[in-house]
Amino acid sequence: MNKEMNTVEEIQNAYIDYVLTKGMKPASVYVFAKENNISEEDFYNLYSSFEGIEDSVWTGLCKRAMTEVQNQEIWEQYSSREKTLAFFYALIELLKSKRSFVLYSLKQSGQTIGTPSILKGVKILFEGFASGLIEQGVESGELANRRFLTSKYKDALWIQFGVILNFWVKDNSPGFEKTDEAIEKGINVTFDLFGKSPLDSLFDYGKFMMNNGGMKPNVKF
Amino acid sequence: MKEQDSIPTSKTERSAKFVKTGLKVGGNYIKHYSKKLFNPSLSKDELNLDNATDIYASLSELKGSALKVAQMLSMDKNILPKAYVDQFSLSQYNAPPLSGPLIVRTFSKYFGKAPSEIYDEFNIRSTNAASIGQVHQASLNGKKLAVKIQYPGVGDSISSDLKMVKPFAFRLLGMSQKELEVYMTEVEDRLLEETDYDLEIKRSIEFSEACRDIANVVFPTYYPELSSKRIITMDWIEGQHMKEFMNTNPSQELRNKIGQALWDFYNFQQHELRAVHADPHPGNFLITPDGKLGIIDFGCIKELPDDFYYPFFSLTSTDMLKDKGMTIKAFRQLEMIRENDDEAQIEFFYRLYKEMIELFAQPYMSNTFDFSQAGFFDKLYSFGEKVAQMPEFKQARGVKHFIYVNRTNFGLYNMLQNLGAEVRTDTWYPHLEVAV
Repeated sequence: MNKEMNTVEEIQNAYIDYVLTKGMKPASVYVFAKENNISEEDFYNLYSSFEGIEDSVWTGLCKRAMTEVQNQEIWEQYSSREKTLAFFYALIELLKSKRSFVLYSLKQSGQTIGTPSILKGVKILFEGFASGLIEQGVESGELANRRFLTSKYKDALWIQFGVILNFWVKDNSPGFEKTDEAIEKGINVTFDLFGKSPLDSLFDYGKFMMNNGGMKPNVKF
Repeated sequence: MKEQDSIPTSKTERSAKFVKTGLKVGGNYIKHYSKKLFNPSLSKDELNLDNATDIYASLSELKGSALKVAQMLSMDKNILPKAYVDQFSLSQYNAPPLSGPLIVRTFSKYFGKAPSEIYDEFNIRSTNAASIGQVHQASLNGKKLAVKIQYPGVGDSISSDLKMVKPFAFRLLGMSQKELEVYMTEVEDRLLEETDYDLEIKRSIEFSEACRDIANVVFPTYYPELSSKRIITMDWIEGQHMKEFMNTNPSQELRNKIGQALWDFYNFQQHELRAVHADPHPGNFLITPDGKLGIIDFGCIKELPDDFYYPFFSLTSTDMLKDKGMTIKAFRQLEMIRENDDEAQIEFFYRLYKEMIELFAQPYMSNTFDFSQAGFFDKLYSFGEKVAQMPEFKQARGVKHFIYVNRTNFGLYNMLQNLGAEVRTDTWYPHLEVAV
């Protein structure tokens, strides 16, 4: 098990080193395996493709950010909003150590509509994480439970994930301070929308009046 | 308390905020005049209150320097209508706080550790807003601490903030903004100094050391090793703010004692240190359970240069006002009378400023002064109102130092009035040995 873990990480590191020095993917798994003195079989036992490696680097970073924030003493005191904020701050901090790879990886995946294939694993992971936080928030009353919308909240947070990531990629402020601000604002806005708002009350009131206020749709003139 | 939802920082966002306020204020006027159609006796008080509420709501969302400006406007009770003042005074207490994770992040950026690793206890919810920062309770080795944390990006946004506030603030005050550049620079300089926590902690230590012997005044101990560019750690001072204190119906004796401490603190600084804690709003003071005055913020210090100190205090504290020639000379030094003023203007401003200084200096004219007497403040306010309506004062006059000196002294008078204190005013005299 331990050996295998090492190999996973070794392959990741070798791959990152390769793409960053050469600026492109290895020509084939064969070439890559040969250069690193492993058999193709070993490679395929762990990964099905180069994209699989990139995916695993991303999910690895994401998982680490999650574990890190969850291990913070203060975690349990945080509201869902704060937990989300803490996650993004931790993630951005971790991404710093792999910035070159992140830039490369995102550039390679190109401008596609929807989620780049290398982030598919991250998306599943993040949505699971976000759903948990949203559930907590709904339970505690921090977030409004809206019949058809609550299940969409996690999608909104995933969009924020993309926005923050893109912001950070383009950020050139010292210490990526602007990204901090982007996180603070972006997540706050998103959670404000999730929270109970006057519109909820208005909707509720409208419904009540429709049912009880003699305002039933009446087409007679 | 509701947590801060967002801090608009980019200029466009801030403009949007002000535009929104502008629209609302416009709306309030419409509301006012439409109500007036039906009720001609409606006074402008309600309108002013509506406006102030909206302006305050907008400013408190802006935080940072805009909040500072709100605080400053609320100091000058003599200029603003009463309703504005009451609302702006709110900004001196509570502004909504920033998110916990950003606080943790600020700590890890400057100390490489989470607050829980630095202090034995750290309350992630802030207890007070400090206008460009917020205050958290913490403890270390059994000592209760106050930790002040600065909002990120405050320094960057001050200039753009002030540019925003400028036209707005002066429309509010009914003044033109063109000639106010020099004053705005002064305000900007002070505000930028206030964002420098390294400087603040240095000054806090210096000033609390220098003022140590003043009776009934207490300062927190500051901890430079637990402070940084964005964080200041000091002792937590137990106590009540002035309003709470007054609600407990303190005895006249106690009020006089606190008032005396305030008076001595300010006059000692002005005359002995030639630099003064220029932020005398009630939020910066606490009255401790043993009846002393706690002073908790040295962010804003105004130094008094000689070319201001001598002419100004010669006017207030000597017989100079009896000598018209000398008085006018001093007014010229202080740019209250200007080079290109004609005879009529000189005469006009001479009379007006003389009246103002006589009023201002009244507490110094006898050994003791009772700040609870309404007469003095009525005169002060009505003078302010009279001046505010004079077209001659649409232009700004006087050297830039007046902004903070006036703010300091009116702030001091205001607090003494709120306390209803009678104080000995002969404790610290100006040093005017060097002739003007």
